Amino acid sequence: MSANGVQAEFLDALDRHRGILVKVGNSYSRTPADRDDLIQEIIAQLWRSFPRYDGRAKLSTWMYRIALNVAITFYRSESRRARSVELRDPAKVEEFDTPVETAGNEALEMVLERVNQLDALNRAVMILYLDDRTYAEIAEIIGISETNVATKIGRIKQRLQSDIGAQQRK
Amino acid sequence: MNVQNDMGFSELKRLWQENARQLAASLRLNAMLMQRANLGKVETTLGRLARAIAFELVLILAGIVLVGWFGAHNPQPKFLVPAAMIDLYAVAMVVANARQLAVLKSIDYDEPVVAIQQRVEALKLLRIRTTLGALLFGPLMWLPFFIVGVRLLFGGDVYAAAGPEWLIANALFGLAVIPMAILLARIAAPRLHRSGALRRLADDVAGRSLASALHDLAALRRFADH
Repeated sequence: MSANGVQAEFLDALDRHRGILVKVGNSYSRTPADRDDLIQEIIAQLWRSFPRYDGRAKLSTWMYRIALNVAITFYRSESRRARSVELRDPAKVEEFDTPVETAGNEALEMVLERVNQLDALNRAVMILYLDDRTYAEIAEIIGISETNVATKIGRIKQRLQSDIGAQQRK
Repeated sequence: MNVQNDMGFSELKRLWQENARQLAASLRLNAMLMQRANLGKVETTLGRLARAIAFELVLILAGIVLVGWFGAHNPQPKFLVPAAMIDLYAVAMVVANARQLAVLKSIDYDEPVVAIQQRVEALKLLRIRTTLGALLFGPLMWLPFFIVGVRLLFGGDVYAAAGPEWLIANALFGLAVIPMAILLARIAAPRLHRSGALRRLADDVAGRSLASALHDLAALRRFADH
């Protein structure tokens, strides 16, 4: 296939799955500018890896793997920088909060605020769960067993339920 | 929406996907911009890092060749010993940089997240340890660099010009600088708000970066195990 053909195929794949970029970009950035940088970095990495995509995994699974790997790497380095600037004692806070865009839906905003307070890896599990991926797909993307995925999702749901329950009782 | 039960989570999924669909509509513009840009020129962070490490490697190798040439033309032990110390320091840096490049090569972002993140953290640890080693050995190495540099650039002999007391005092000063640098970095790091590079350097010397990377690596292992 010609270089133009590959580029057209890539842009078509990107357009069909641009929701993945938005979901991951929104979940791992602090500001809209950060999100744009992160999405550009994900697109660059996807483009670099695209010639090696062999079709063994679903295109969305492959894109999620790359997007999450880029985002978590980006997020950890930004998080370290933020910890270093904002805190005298870096052990006190592990992650920074990521603002959410929910077009005014307060209930969704409340839940997503809590999802965005999860550490980078549990957040990845939750993004995939919310995107209705099967446990087998989540396990394939994250690289842990299906049992481990089920345990983690169970724990996160329990935590969300108890946090939100506590807030509603206030 | 009530997330107190699984019905609530189904509703949450629906809302989340709907919200993402609305936000994705705004990304069309980015895709169009990407279409116009030359994708072949796009560079990733890892690509830039690999280039920087390779560049450092080339510089150090050039330094080793230069010091080798210096040794061949200055065979007296008083010049050969500091030249050999510089070579040892440089070889250690070559090994450290080559290891970083090897880990970097093994990072393929289309592999599972946990495995790749462990490699990314391993690379960070290597980078931090290399910087820490270079900075902490730096004060000890300045004297051999000074002796060889003066000879190489001006043909001078520091031993004859300065005398043994000056050399011993400077070697001891180099030793004293190490704990002072660590102390200074611990005090200064939290105050260096404006300069990202300086702050990172101070965090590296103070051991904060190392502690943070080790903490993240341990968290990754715990995540994979439980």
